[in-house]
Amino acid sequence: MSGDRAEFEKFLGLSEVLTGFTKFRLQGTGQGALYFSTLTDVVGQGTAGELLQAWSGVAAAAGQDEGKLERLMRSEILSHEKLGPIARNLIKLWFVGTWYQLPAAWREVFGTPERDRSFVPAASSYVEGLLWPTIGANPTGAKGPGYGTWADPPNIPKV
Amino acid sequence: MSHLSSRISRTDHASASTQIYDAVIVGSGVAGSILANELGRQGFSVLVLEAGPGNDLSIAEYEASVERFYLSASKDNNSPYAVNRNAPMPRGQETVKLQPGRPNADGYIVQNGPLELDSTYTRVVGGTTRHWEGKALRLIPEDFEMRTRHGQGLDWPLKYETLKSYYAKAEAEIGVSADVEDQGYLGISFEPGYVYPMRKIPISYLDQVIGKNLDGAKVELDGETFSLVVRSTPQARNGVPHPGYDNGKGYVAPSAVSTHQDEMGQRCQGNNNCVPICPVQAKYDARRTLVKALETGRVHLLSQTVVSRVHIDSGNGRVTHIEYKAYKDLHGKEHSAGTVKARVFILAANAVENARLMLASGLPGSSGLVGRNLMDHAYLLTWALMPEIVGTMRGSQCTSGIEELRGGAFRRKQAAFRAGIHNDGWGWATGAPYTDLLALVDDQNKFGRALQRGLVDRISRQLLLDFMVEVLPDPANRITVDPDHRDQLGNMRPVLSYRLNDYTLDGVAFARQLSRRIYQRLGAEDHTTYSPQEPGWVDYQGGGFVIRGGNHWAGTHLMGSSPKNSVVDANQRSWDYPNLYLAGSGSMPSIGTANTTLTLAALCLISAGHIAKELRSAPTAAAAR
Amino acid sequence: MGLSRITSVEELHRHLYAALQLEHATIPAYLTALYSIHPGTNTEAVHILRAVAVEEMLHLTLAANILNAVGGTPDLTRPDFVPVFPTFLPDGETDFEVGLQRFSKEALATFLKIERPGHAPEGAPRTVRRPKKPGKSVLHASHTGKDAEEHFYSIGEFYDEISRSLATLHEDLSHQGRTLFVGDPARQITPEFYYSGGGELIAVTDLASAQAAIRLISEQGEGKGKAIFDYEGELSHYYRFEQLLLGRYYQTGDKAGHPTGAPIAVDWKSVYPIKANARLSDYAEGSELREAAFEFNRSYRDLLEMLTRAFTGEPRLLTAAVGDMFRIKELFLRLMRNPMDGTGTLHAAPPFEIASVTEVRK
Repeated sequence: MSGDRAEFEKFLGLSEVLTGFTKFRLQGTGQGALYFSTLTDVVGQGTAGELLQAWSGVAAAAGQDEGKLERLMRSEILSHEKLGPIARNLIKLWFVGTWYQLPAAWREVFGTPERDRSFVPAASSYVEGLLWPTIGANPTGAKGPGYGTWADPPNIPKV
Repeated sequence: MSHLSSRISRTDHASASTQIYDAVIVGSGVAGSILANELGRQGFSVLVLEAGPGNDLSIAEYEASVERFYLSASKDNNSPYAVNRNAPMPRGQETVKLQPGRPNADGYIVQNGPLELDSTYTRVVGGTTRHWEGKALRLIPEDFEMRTRHGQGLDWPLKYETLKSYYAKAEAEIGVSADVEDQGYLGISFEPGYVYPMRKIPISYLDQVIGKNLDGAKVELDGETFSLVVRSTPQARNGVPHPGYDNGKGYVAPSAVSTHQDEMGQRCQGNNNCVPICPVQAKYDARRTLVKALETGRVHLLSQTVVSRVHIDSGNGRVTHIEYKAYKDLHGKEHSAGTVKARVFILAANAVENARLMLASGLPGSSGLVGRNLMDHAYLLTWALMPEIVGTMRGSQCTSGIEELRGGAFRRKQAAFRAGIHNDGWGWATGAPYTDLLALVDDQNKFGRALQRGLVDRISRQLLLDFMVEVLPDPANRITVDPDHRDQLGNMRPVLSYRLNDYTLDGVAFARQLSRRIYQRLGAEDHTTYSPQEPGWVDYQGGGFVIRGGNHWAGTHLMGSSPKNSVVDANQRSWDYPNLYLAGSGSMPSIGTANTTLTLAALCLISAGHIAKELRSAPTAAAAR
Repeated sequence: MGLSRITSVEELHRHLYAALQLEHATIPAYLTALYSIHPGTNTEAVHILRAVAVEEMLHLTLAANILNAVGGTPDLTRPDFVPVFPTFLPDGETDFEVGLQRFSKEALATFLKIERPGHAPEGAPRTVRRPKKPGKSVLHASHTGKDAEEHFYSIGEFYDEISRSLATLHEDLSHQGRTLFVGDPARQITPEFYYSGGGELIAVTDLASAQAAIRLISEQGEGKGKAIFDYEGELSHYYRFEQLLLGRYYQTGDKAGHPTGAPIAVDWKSVYPIKANARLSDYAEGSELREAAFEFNRSYRDLLEMLTRAFTGEPRLLTAAVGDMFRIKELFLRLMRNPMDGTGTLHAAPPFEIASVTEVRK
C-alpha cells in the first residue's frame, strides 16, 4: 500500500467514526477521494496529516472498545483547538456536501488558508450528501424517490 | 437528442429591426409565452424580447441550471440562474434590515421601506415560473368584488363567472393536477362536467397525519363558524392524466422542453425542490408554452435583449416603437442598441418590470397609477415539531392546505388567509436542514450514530405552516424609478416603497393565534419565534411578527372600469395608449389568497382573444400578411 | 416446437413471453453501462443510454399488454426470466452475447448488435438452428429440445412473426365465432399509469391496438427498413448508440453512418472500472460488498414481483415499482463506486443473480 493510499484509508476510518456510516457507504457516495483532496487542499497536507495521525493514535488506543473510542475522539480530536473544527467540517462535508469556512476563532489562531471559504466541491457532493438518506429522504432537487412515494409512512433507516 | 424542432424560425436583431411584427411582446414568462403562443397559432407574427439569457432552450442549458443549484452554497430561489449584471434580478439575501430613512440600494431593487420585502423574480427565458412552486389555486368569486361585498379594496371589471372558462383553459395550458370534488369551496364553481387535466397529486403522509387530527376543528370568526379540513392543493406539475378530461378525450401530460425519451417531463418524482428548480421538469414552466409558440414558425425570440424605452407618438397616442439594448455576455457592458416595431405592443415583464419600464419611459399614465397599488402576499411562517416521526422532506414542497378562511363576512374587518402545509420542513423559516446539522455538530457536539439519531429526531418531525395573508391595494405601496439608481446598462432600477396596514396585520395576528390552536390540537411543540432584528419585522400591539414576501408581485397597472381608477381595461389594454397592453399580475386589482400565476394566465388568454380580434379588424391586417 | 412459425394461441403466448424476456434482458446491460459513468460527465451518453433504457421499460410493458390481451399471464418471476449474463438473445446472431459491462466502445459495439436493423436475406431461412453451447445461458423461450435451440435471424424477424400470427390467429378464431382477444381489459397498463416522452403506452384490446404496440416496439428499437428516423421523427436505438461511436448527432436528412449534427464528446475514461458480469461469488463471504450485492439481487427480485403484480391486475402498483427502481439505482451506484480490492483498479457491480435469492428463500 502506497503512502497516499494508507493516508486515504486513515481518512476513511476517521470518517466512519465521525459520520457513523461504514466505509462501504462512504465510498458508495463516490466522494471519498474528492473529500480527501478537499481536506488537504484547504488546510494543507501538514495539518491534514496531524489530524490523521491523531486519529491513528485514537484508533490504536481504543481497539475494539467503543466507549473508549468515543472518549478519545472527544479528548484527542473534537475538543482539540486546531483539529476539532476540521473534524466537524468533515462531518458537514459528508452530510451536506459543503465545506464551511472554518470558524473565525480558528482562522485567527491558525491562519487563513486561501481555499478556506464555504463551497461545494462538486455537484455530486451535494447530491450524495448523507444527511438525506439518514432521514429517509432525498436531497432536495435530486434523487426523487418516485411519484406518490411521499404518501406512504417514512422509511427511516434504524440506527 | 432532439433539440428544438426544425419548424422554428429564427431571427437576429438586424433582421428583426427591419420587420413590422403584428405584436412585440416584452418578456418570455408565463404571460408573454401564453400571448405569443395564442397569437402565433392564430397566424400573427410575433417577436418576444427577453432580457435574460437562454436563447437555445436546450436541455444542456437546463441541466446547467440544476448543476448551478447543486454547487451553490446558498441555494436561494435564484441560485440556479447565472448572475447577470445586464439584467439583474432581486435575491432574497439582498433584503436586509433597513435603518429608518435610509434606503437599501445594495440589491437590484432599491428598498425604501418602511417595511423590507424579500420577494424576488427571475429574469431568464420562462421568467419566474422557472422557480415558482406551482400552486395553481383559483381566486374565489368574492375576491373579484371586494368593494361591493366587503367594503374593502377594489372590484374587478369582470367577475368569476367570466373568468371561469378561461381558468379551465389556463389549467390545461399549464397542466394542473387536482380533483374537482376537492376544489369546489367558497363559491368556486366549474363548468358542467369539468375535470382537471390530471388527478390530484397524492397528499403527503404528513398531510394525512395532520388531517386525521385536525379535520373538523371549529373556528369562530365574526359570528361565522368555520370547520377546518386538510385539502389537497391544485398544482401545475405532472400527475396521472385524467381519462375523463375533455369529455373523455383524456389529457396528454406535457413533456419537458427539448428532451424526449428521458426521465424528464414525467410525473412528479418528489424531488422536493419545486422552488427553485425541478430537476426533471415535472413542474410547469413557461418555456413549455414558449416552445409551442416558437413551433408555430411565426414567433421569434430574441434573448439578452433588455427593453429600455417605450416610444409614444404624441399626436395619436400610439406606441411607435420599442427601444432595446442587446448585450453580448452576462458580465461586460458591451451591447448594441436598437428598435423594433409592431402593430401591437405587449409588456409582459412582470408587475415590477412593467411598471419600471413605463416609468422609465416617462409614462406614469393619465391616472398616475402606474407603479402604485403594489401587492404581494404577506406570509407569516409558523413552525413546530410533531409528536411523532412524520417523514418530513418528502414529496413536492406542499401537497395540502387549509382553505376555509379564504373567504367570509369577516373580510370587512380583516384579511383572509390560507395555510400551506410544508413537506419541506422548516427550511423557509430557519434554513433547515442545514441549520439543524450545524446546531447538532457545532453546539450539541454530536457525531457518528448519535448525530444520525439527532438528525432524525430534529428534522423528521418538522412541520411548517405558511399563512398566506391577503394584502389590499394601497396607492402608497409602489414602484418608482430614480435616475440615481441604474444598472450596468444604464437602465433605471426599480425603487420599492412598502408597508402593511392593520387590515392585513389583524389577519396575520388571527393566523398566528390559529396556528397555536392547531399545534395544541396536534400536540406539536411550537418553535416559532420572531425577532425585531430580522427584515420584515412589524410591530403589532406590543409584540410583532416577521412577514415574508411571496414573490406574487401584483397591482402596479391594475385593471378597472374607467381610465380614472385604473391603468388598463378588462382586456389589459392601456386606457391611454390603444395599441399598448400591460399583461400579467400587475393588472390584478386584488390578489385574495391565491398565488397569481393561474389567474394571470387566464387573463392573458382573454387578452389574446381580444388582441387577435383587434389585429384582424384593423385595416392593415390583410396587408400585413 | 421452436420459435419459428406460430400456429396456435399457446405458441403465441410462448413467443410473447419470449418478447418480455427479450425486452427485459437488455435493461441490466444498458443500466450497467449507464450507471458506470462518473456523475456529471458524458452527459450526452447518459441521456442516450437513459432514454433507451426507459424505452425498453416501455416495450416490456407493451409486451405485457399484448400477452394479457390474448389471455396469457406475464410472469416476471419465473426462474429463467432473468438470464445469467453473458447471454445470447433469442435472435439468430451467433456472433455476440450480451454481458454486463462498463460504458466502453466494446459495450456500445454490443448494443449496436442488439439493436441492429436487419431482416433475413431474400430467400434465406428466417430462423437459425444451432447447438446448445455448454455453460452458456440461453433464454428459456428459445429452447427447442434438449440439445438444440432455434432462433430468428433478428429481433425484427421475431416481431414480424408475432405480428403475422396475431393477424392469422385472429382471423381463424373469428371464423369460428371466437376471439383471440380474451384478456381482461382491467389488466391493461394504460397511459394513466405510465407515461414518458418516449411514446404513448397503448392499451391492447383488439388486433389494431396489438399491431400498433408491436410496431412501436420494433420501430423504436432497430428502426424501420433503411430509415434512421421513425414515423414519429425519432431516431431508433441503433442510430442513437451509433452517434456515440461516431461522435456526432444525426439530424434530419442524414444518411445512415454519416451524421452531420452537433459534435458529441465522449470521455471513455470517466467511467468506474467495474468488474464485467460480476457474480455474488466474486465477493468474499461475510463482506459488506457481498451483503450489498445480495441486497441488490433481492431488491431486483422484489421489483420483478411488483411488476408481475402490476401486470396481472394491479396496474396501480406500477407507481410503486417506479419508486423501487429509484431505490435500486442507489444500490447500483453504491456498489459501482466501491473498489473490490485495495488498489482500486477494479470496482464492484451488481450481479443480477435472481436465483441466489430464491435459493436462500428455500
